[in-house]
Amino acid sequence: MIDSGLDRRDFLKVLGWGGAAAALSGCGNTSIEDGKETVVSYVEAADYAIPGIGVYYNSTCAQCDAGCSINGRVREGRVLKLEGNPASAINRGKTCGLGQAGVQHHYNPDRVREPMLRKGDKFETITWDKAYALIAEKLNGAKGEEVAFLSGGVSGHLKVLLGNYLASIGCKNHYVYEALAPAVARAANKKAYGIEMPRFNINKAKVVLSFGADFLGSWVSPVHFSQQYAQFRKGVDGQRGVLIQVESKMTLTGANADRWVPVRPGTEGILALGIINELGMASGDIAAAVKGYDRIRVSKETGVPPGQIDKIAALLKLRSPSLVLAGSAAEGYAHGSQNAAAINLLNHVLGNVGKTIEASSSVTFTQMAPAKGNTAALKSLNDGLAAGKYKVLFSYAANPVFTAPGALKFKDNLAKADFKVSFAHYLDETALQADLVLPLDSALEDWNTQVPEYMAEGAQINIQQPLMEKLHANTRGMGDILLALVKQRRAEEYKSFDDYYAYLRAAMLQNKGALGGGGADDDTFWNDTLTKGIVKLAGSSGALSGKASVVGLTLPAPSAADAQYPLHLIPGVTASLRDGRHANQPWLQESPDPLTTIVWDSWVEIHPKKAAELGIKEGDILEVTSRSGSIKAQAYLFPGIHPDAISVPLGRGHDALGRYAKGYGANPFQILDAVFDQETGELAMHETRVKVSKTGQCVIVVKDEGSAGGKQMGRKIAVSMSTDEVDLSKEV
Amino acid sequence: MRCLLSLFVLLMGLFATVNSYAADAPQPALTTEDSSGPQVVQPIEFPHDRHAGLRNPSDPTNSDPLKGGMEIDCMYCHTYARRSAVAGIPTLQKCIGCHQSIESVRNKPRIQELFKYWDAKKPVPWKKVHDMPDFVRFNHERHIKRFVEQQNRPTQEACGYCHGDVKQMTVARRSKGLTMGWCANCHQKDHPVTAAGGTPVGNQAYWYSFQKPVAGTAGGEVKAQDTNNIKAQGPNDCWQCHK
Repeated sequence: MIDSGLDRRDFLKVLGWGGAAAALSGCGNTSIEDGKETVVSYVEAADYAIPGIGVYYNSTCAQCDAGCSINGRVREGRVLKLEGNPASAINRGKTCGLGQAGVQHHYNPDRVREPMLRKGDKFETITWDKAYALIAEKLNGAKGEEVAFLSGGVSGHLKVLLGNYLASIGCKNHYVYEALAPAVARAANKKAYGIEMPRFNINKAKVVLSFGADFLGSWVSPVHFSQQYAQFRKGVDGQRGVLIQVESKMTLTGANADRWVPVRPGTEGILALGIINELGMASGDIAAAVKGYDRIRVSKETGVPPGQIDKIAALLKLRSPSLVLAGSAAEGYAHGSQNAAAINLLNHVLGNVGKTIEASSSVTFTQMAPAKGNTAALKSLNDGLAAGKYKVLFSYAANPVFTAPGALKFKDNLAKADFKVSFAHYLDETALQADLVLPLDSALEDWNTQVPEYMAEGAQINIQQPLMEKLHANTRGMGDILLALVKQRRAEEYKSFDDYYAYLRAAMLQNKGALGGGGADDDTFWNDTLTKGIVKLAGSSGALSGKASVVGLTLPAPSAADAQYPLHLIPGVTASLRDGRHANQPWLQESPDPLTTIVWDSWVEIHPKKAAELGIKEGDILEVTSRSGSIKAQAYLFPGIHPDAISVPLGRGHDALGRYAKGYGANPFQILDAVFDQETGELAMHETRVKVSKTGQCVIVVKDEGSAGGKQMGRKIAVSMSTDEVDLSKEV
Repeated sequence: MRCLLSLFVLLMGLFATVNSYAADAPQPALTTEDSSGPQVVQPIEFPHDRHAGLRNPSDPTNSDPLKGGMEIDCMYCHTYARRSAVAGIPTLQKCIGCHQSIESVRNKPRIQELFKYWDAKKPVPWKKVHDMPDFVRFNHERHIKRFVEQQNRPTQEACGYCHGDVKQMTVARRSKGLTMGWCANCHQKDHPVTAAGGTPVGNQAYWYSFQKPVAGTAGGEVKAQDTNNIKAQGPNDCWQCHK
């Protein structure tokens, strides 16, 4: 907001004059500064260290769980740029914007640098020895079942070491929590195909029908799927693939689709059954089960015109193989598992299983397989905390105070644990509640191995290795901390490992043969492994075993209108901010949202028709109220959303974490109701109903799109057209 | 408020404009003149003359520091210059490598100072003597390749084009202008701006429009199609230095 009245246009005019002046004075002999800057040499230099010449190391991106391999450029001992490692089947030399921002995680000015102990309202710095002693003391006073460990998704040797530590203290309460994990999809896939995460071959499909799976933006392994998508668009046999996206809020993938089908929130499963019925390819049980879903009924319940259903069915019949995907938008309901089952049934009916959906390989070392995060874990932890079951709580790589639905009252329950230890990169909302905060090395300083959940080709183990020396002397790697802690209990067993690096090296060398290093001597194998950054394995490939079945498949009728809270709240998952753990990386805050082009702030997406009905215009500050709370954010009129729904992006609205995150935007997690999927117990993120009201304030929305303030000053630069005026079917 | 603010910013801009017109000609002048930089105080007063200076024929043992140097090649210490865009500063290890076995000067104050840094494993905080602005990228490697490796000129001569006669200095001091006009002076000689030899295109015209083409293809005239067809390369490309 600009109060002075000097608007953008005037500002630029004035700036232009100033700029011209600066440019002119820049010509000539002005800028040579001798003897001012210090130039520091190496004391001793390795042969390969040449000032000005980069050295490259392979490692693994830790910005999300996809497990892309990265290649970091290091110059004069500083890591400067991350690119993808071409040898990885997952990302084939590419990275996404989130991955690029990894350097800002490393150099972030708000990283925790010293171990800190709570003293009243404040933290005071303590030494590592004291911190370890304190943990040992607290654990001595607690039984195994009174200790809980909360973590994000972990895999590889860190998971093994963590398991050993928990065993050594007799703790069986390991909660693996990820706010946005595809946990319902895992369960549904397991039922339909026999494995939790099969391999999806988008590149082999001629039609992709995606029910809310944002595979180009944030779903499972977006960099991998983006490349498959490029091949899919080039086409099998020269026939360009057609993408149909069914969802209530347009995602990045929806924006790329040939046909975007807005559906009434929660009725995705009904539409899937309607399409099966329309296809007429099913027989037996399935045909009987879908018999009732004729196009007129389905159209009435889902809001998708009968003509659209016809076209989708006709296209799927015409072009085979196809691929049907069920994403988080279809699964975020109390009947989410049912929705996913109905959608997966489509793949069976269309004969895609075994063609575009294949068995994936998995790493034969099952103890290293990823501990997969979910939200059901959060609920049981929360219940345990509420009952006062835990005396000591560890938390690592999860920020539930920020990401837990407001209705769970997680922060209040957390206070019931006597001693809370947080392993943290930043003082985030959860770390702020802790009694002891232990600073972690950044992902570019730490050692690790990682096993991705989604395997692109054969199985692989990713190596994470330091790209440069530690920036801060008193941070520690998570592996080093766990090793020190496990030594408190099992000193004899672990005495030969000085640090986590030694542990990792020994563990890898022990299985040299199985890791493809048979015959090579230890050093050769180890150096080779570090150079490549990836250990590729043959892996074991399970067969797809699930059968098409309609047993237990019952879809509820579309939910009735709620007079008090008439709108569905769709929490938007953006490609760069996800669950908000990286919101303190300014590149992510300043990169415009692909659909709305808004930066540095939250917004409420609302359909123009609905907005007109409520008298809302762009920039109005709206109060969004659910049964669990309310938030305020600016309105953004967006034709890519169902008129009965609004969407607020996740990830912003921190009240801690750091200078680039704190105070920017609003946090929709806060107002989510505690509704859970009936089958899996996962949080139903899309079940929250809200109402919106105007607060009377209005701001200029800061965005790249259009002219300032959304006004065109009377000029018709671009005529906007709402989606219902565009007949996308003509384009296909 | 609004008017005042605009006026203030505008006036500041205009003031700066007028000021810069008065102080500098808008057209950078070509110059070969030497222009000495300030005398820079270094943590250790490194005697370039003693290391790189010419030997004294009447003193074969090289015992008198006042009368001769050791003719050490520039690139013995500044070893990165031929391998990288930046010349770098020699590692401390390099200094110590020789000096640990030169007993005769081991107790001189400057050498003692040097060993203090070495014992503490701390680098010497040298001050930059040739500090180009951040928007200029000078490539040492290219120039060494050209003059020393291809044209076989003596290292001291090649380095001296920009760094002056370092073998006669104690602490190095900038002795050349190092402005764009100064750089272009050499480049104009060896890569003249002609239609045949690389007429500047696009943004380069900003600089080279100040300079008249030496000769055109026909009768000294530069034809439009020549300017369009020929792509400037190498040092005539702005991008080479302003990346």
